[in-house]
Amino acid sequence: MKKYTVINTPVHNIDGIAKITGRAKYTFDITLPRMLHGKILRSSYPHAEILDIDTSKAERLRGVKAVVTGKDTLGKKQGIWRRFKELCDEEILAGNKVRYIGEPVAAVAAIDEDTAEEALDLIEVKYNPLPAVFEPLEAIKEGAPQLHDQAERNINVTRHIEWGDVDEGFKKADYVREDWFRCSSQAHVCMETHCAVADYTPEGKLTVYTSTQSHYYIKVLLAEILGLRENDVRVISRYTGGGFGSKFELDSAQFCSSLLSMKLCQPIKIVLTREEEFTATKRRTPMFYYVRSGIKKDGTFLAKEARVFTEGGAYTAMGATALYLTGFFQSFPYVWPSYRFDGYRVYTNTAPTSAMRGFGAPQATFCAETQIDLIADELGIDPIEIRRKNAMYPGYEVPGQATIQSCGLDQCLDKIDEWIKSRGKLPAHRGIGIAAYGFMSGGIFNWFDTPYAFSSAIVQINIDGKVDLYVGSQDMGQGSNTTMALICAEELGVKFEDIRLHMGDTENCPVDLGAWGSRETLMQGNAVKMAASKAKQQILEFAVAKLTPNIVYDLDIKDGWIHLIARPERGLSYYDVVKEAIRGKDGQPIIARGHYTPHRKGMISPAYSFGVQAVEADVDPDTGKITLKNCVTAHDCGQVINPLGVKGQLEGAIAMAAGYGFTEDLPMDEGKILNPNLVDYMLLRATEMPETKVMEVETYEPEGPFGAKEAGEGLTNPTAGALGNAVFHAAGISIKNLPITPEKVLNALKEKEKK
Amino acid sequence: MEKKLLHLTINGEQHELYINPKKLLVEILRDELGLTGTKRGCNTGACGACTVLLDGAAVKSCSILAMQADGAEVTTVEGLAKGSKLTPLQRSFLDHGAFQCGFCASGMLLSATAFLREDPTPKDIKEGIQGNICRCTGYNSILRAIKAVAEGKYKEEGR
Amino acid sequence: MIHDFNYRRATSIKEALSLLEKYKDDYKIICGGQSLLILMRQGLVAPENLIDIKKVKELDYIDYNPKTGLKIGAATTHREIEKSPLIKKNFPVLAEMEKNLASIQTRNWGTIGGNLAHGDPAGDPAPILIALNATVKMASIERDRILPLEDFFIDIFETALEEGELLTEIQVPILPKKTGIAYQKFNIIKNYLGMVSVAASVTLAEDSEKCTEARIVLGAAAAISLRAKEAEQMLIGEKIDAKLLENAGKKASEECDPVSDIHATETYRRVLVRVLTTRVTGKAWEQAKAAH
Repeated sequence: MKKYTVINTPVHNIDGIAKITGRAKYTFDITLPRMLHGKILRSSYPHAEILDIDTSKAERLRGVKAVVTGKDTLGKKQGIWRRFKELCDEEILAGNKVRYIGEPVAAVAAIDEDTAEEALDLIEVKYNPLPAVFEPLEAIKEGAPQLHDQAERNINVTRHIEWGDVDEGFKKADYVREDWFRCSSQAHVCMETHCAVADYTPEGKLTVYTSTQSHYYIKVLLAEILGLRENDVRVISRYTGGGFGSKFELDSAQFCSSLLSMKLCQPIKIVLTREEEFTATKRRTPMFYYVRSGIKKDGTFLAKEARVFTEGGAYTAMGATALYLTGFFQSFPYVWPSYRFDGYRVYTNTAPTSAMRGFGAPQATFCAETQIDLIADELGIDPIEIRRKNAMYPGYEVPGQATIQSCGLDQCLDKIDEWIKSRGKLPAHRGIGIAAYGFMSGGIFNWFDTPYAFSSAIVQINIDGKVDLYVGSQDMGQGSNTTMALICAEELGVKFEDIRLHMGDTENCPVDLGAWGSRETLMQGNAVKMAASKAKQQILEFAVAKLTPNIVYDLDIKDGWIHLIARPERGLSYYDVVKEAIRGKDGQPIIARGHYTPHRKGMISPAYSFGVQAVEADVDPDTGKITLKNCVTAHDCGQVINPLGVKGQLEGAIAMAAGYGFTEDLPMDEGKILNPNLVDYMLLRATEMPETKVMEVETYEPEGPFGAKEAGEGLTNPTAGALGNAVFHAAGISIKNLPITPEKVLNALKEKEKK
Repeated sequence: MEKKLLHLTINGEQHELYINPKKLLVEILRDELGLTGTKRGCNTGACGACTVLLDGAAVKSCSILAMQADGAEVTTVEGLAKGSKLTPLQRSFLDHGAFQCGFCASGMLLSATAFLREDPTPKDIKEGIQGNICRCTGYNSILRAIKAVAEGKYKEEGR
Repeated sequence: MIHDFNYRRATSIKEALSLLEKYKDDYKIICGGQSLLILMRQGLVAPENLIDIKKVKELDYIDYNPKTGLKIGAATTHREIEKSPLIKKNFPVLAEMEKNLASIQTRNWGTIGGNLAHGDPAGDPAPILIALNATVKMASIERDRILPLEDFFIDIFETALEEGELLTEIQVPILPKKTGIAYQKFNIIKNYLGMVSVAASVTLAEDSEKCTEARIVLGAAAAISLRAKEAEQMLIGEKIDAKLLENAGKKASEECDPVSDIHATETYRRVLVRVLTTRVTGKAWEQAKAAH
């Protein structure tokens, strides 16, 4: 008998038909009657005082309806780390100071985009430029320009993680290695840029259509910063064209359009251009890393010490979380008897750095896995074996931090080992590199300070057996809509087609914190499962009354058939019983609620995914060009819920993470991003993708719905490291400065030749 | 600036518009005619999200003045399915999960449609979508979907 | 944003030329517009009059004559060249170059004439056409004139086209006997952002011993497509071998004048010129040996 009826079957994406027929309306597509278009004026200075803003000429331009500046706001600072007020340091529309090139200073609403753009040129801003600082190691020096009054030496956040006795560990080590790394920034490049349509009406209610990963966060943050009651703000996000971490904080499109709409009582639409998307939205956190490891000569890990300075950019944003997570995942996925991490997030006059898929873990994994291969090479140990020797295992306790419940890492190593051996002898200039990783399934720390459960769901069953499932989760492409419908259908025992999903509207949906930190499958999934289970119990009450089985018999529902578990042929149709159940409840539909908040699950996450990835690549010895041939991943996401979704997430993660490894970068000159377009910013196209192979290692995670864990973000962790290791094995060079460009490869080859 | 008369057939329907000649084809489709299935993802003609068919050839509607499409037949994503009958490529995309956030999907479908019409059994499928950027899928599911159609696994449904 | 303009459409060469003459004070020609529209959208180019020659069918043709060679109308699209049976048979390297240019969508609408007239030093067609000894025909209301393509480019985005002149035809002569021709572009993302490209033609004597002619053209390695004449001279009159090709590569890397930008330093671009020149010239040589 099959283990599950609905989950882990290749269903169509629940939004599929809407998306492939062009019917899906993204915020980008929304128009409302009398809608005006907005544009934002942004600072061209990295650091300056705003002395005066003269908007009179812009206001007089024919077609311009309103212009707003910081003076039109309540002057409140906001931030997503609401638990710590000093980290809520961003006004969005600058008051009297700008701290990065691209920071908004004014916004215009006009009859069309061209007029709004013209009006921007007519706004006169008087700046008093201040000295600026761009590198974190410069910004912490004495005498460096200070960005925020309360942050001495521009240190925004620090983090210390420690267990065991690191110094003792190094003393005992046979071999100690230290390396310095530079991890670059990266742009999310969502296909749908940040955008919002804000509609404020005379009743005092604000509706904002926006492309977001968390309508709940946006609602609360907007209400606070605009001085509105939380539930007088409605945020709608039925379809989001990509997020990857860039869209769960309050952004300039949402804030400025809301401000303008409140002034005019007309809908205002602001869509960021691709250039603004590059220069003025948040990005991956660049990191300067020092990693020192102490190992026994048989390859046993003893002690690890890591120190990192991250380039924070001008504001905290979600950078504090990236700092925490990079420090935690620097130890993953291995047993380190002693570990010490010190992290410093430093303010700089550059665009704020924040959350991007992997959230600090890709950076940590790149450093850790690169160093492990170098260690293995020096000690003459096979790269798989050295990892296996020290791998985490089910039940392992990361001292003071987390308990690993399910963990399929060993099996993942087996599968990758098998694949590598199957490749046989490689041609010249080709190498295979591996990297192992672990990742969180949602975070535990309530930095947003929400009073609500982390996730909630409502199930309502109707007379025709069709189920209304209300979730707060956000599908930004990662497939949570389909996943939730599958979980609900499986738990309730109905068909996937019986589920009608409601999401993306704060007016109708229960609270969920949003799609970030890879939390939806586990957290929203658990809430959905609870709601479905409670609804099922209500139906089974009536079924028991109809079937009158002996008290020792239990009932269940599978595929629309309510039956005795021990005698499945004895049963009733769910569709028939539902009618009676509703009649029995005074004509009220069956309704049940579910919720989930992790309790007593350690410091970081209730569950962890694991995996091992191998990258096979060619390195051209004359030009340094890297060509990806194969990428094979063995991963453990517990129970797979949506197999097409998981495969898609893996392949997408490979493209993004490989890009991080060797093609994508955001070079800057004095705080100005030099490649803000899709030609000069090089992300992978179809022609650069290698053959991909996915191998599932099935485990059962007790904390997750049906044993499921995350599977979309952890997969972004290993590729840069595996790619770097492939280059190491192909060409004998190790590059510790991302991205690994052909020029860097060639220079390293030259250096190697000299020696 | 003198406004100009523009005649276009879009998805089999004839349209007559009186426009500022600086308007791009994508602006006429999305803003004048409400056909928002065609998207825009950049300002440098690089991403392909705005791909439509112009007299059967895949083009970037953000890089063509609407006036240059005068007298032409344009196909957008809305014109692919006939009623509820999806095209083989659309069905293959559904079966293979060849989209995630969906924003690039219409451009991908139109590029693939033109590509397979020109050569129903192509050797190199990657070439067919090389001009379209996707940030979600890593492309391989899209390539599998197109390959399945090229291999004859999907027949046209009765029109 | 695009600034307003007066839109004027021509449907014949004659009409086009008279429009150019009439509005010669302030006009821009649009054909495929794949380069022009990007500049107009950024407000960098804002003509009073936009003269659309896309519908001038007279400029859209590919003719081949076994004696006089190829004649391509300036408004022929990249895709037409890429797919043309005439070109695949007689000048396959041109089809190959087109296949590696941007995307199918761009090639379906962008034209060879528009590409050349834009004068982008990183343009794909110019180096290979120069290696093929191509000429271009320009027409104005007064006269027609023909110029070797290598004299057509003056500086970055500056060509020999004068006010009132329209590029009408590209002419490629028949290859001399025992000639091989090859081309390669270096980029990280296929088809995009060619960091450097090299096109080479090598002609050998009847007995395949000595090289009688060599044309090595570098793309994106100077303000305009550059003939590496000193590298060429190293090969002419000599028996080619691997060592000579290596030296020619080194020489070409010294002759060029590449920039340093966010994608590559000048030093690295010179390395690419050296490596590609050796590889591409070698490939052309192999072809020449096998040719008739």
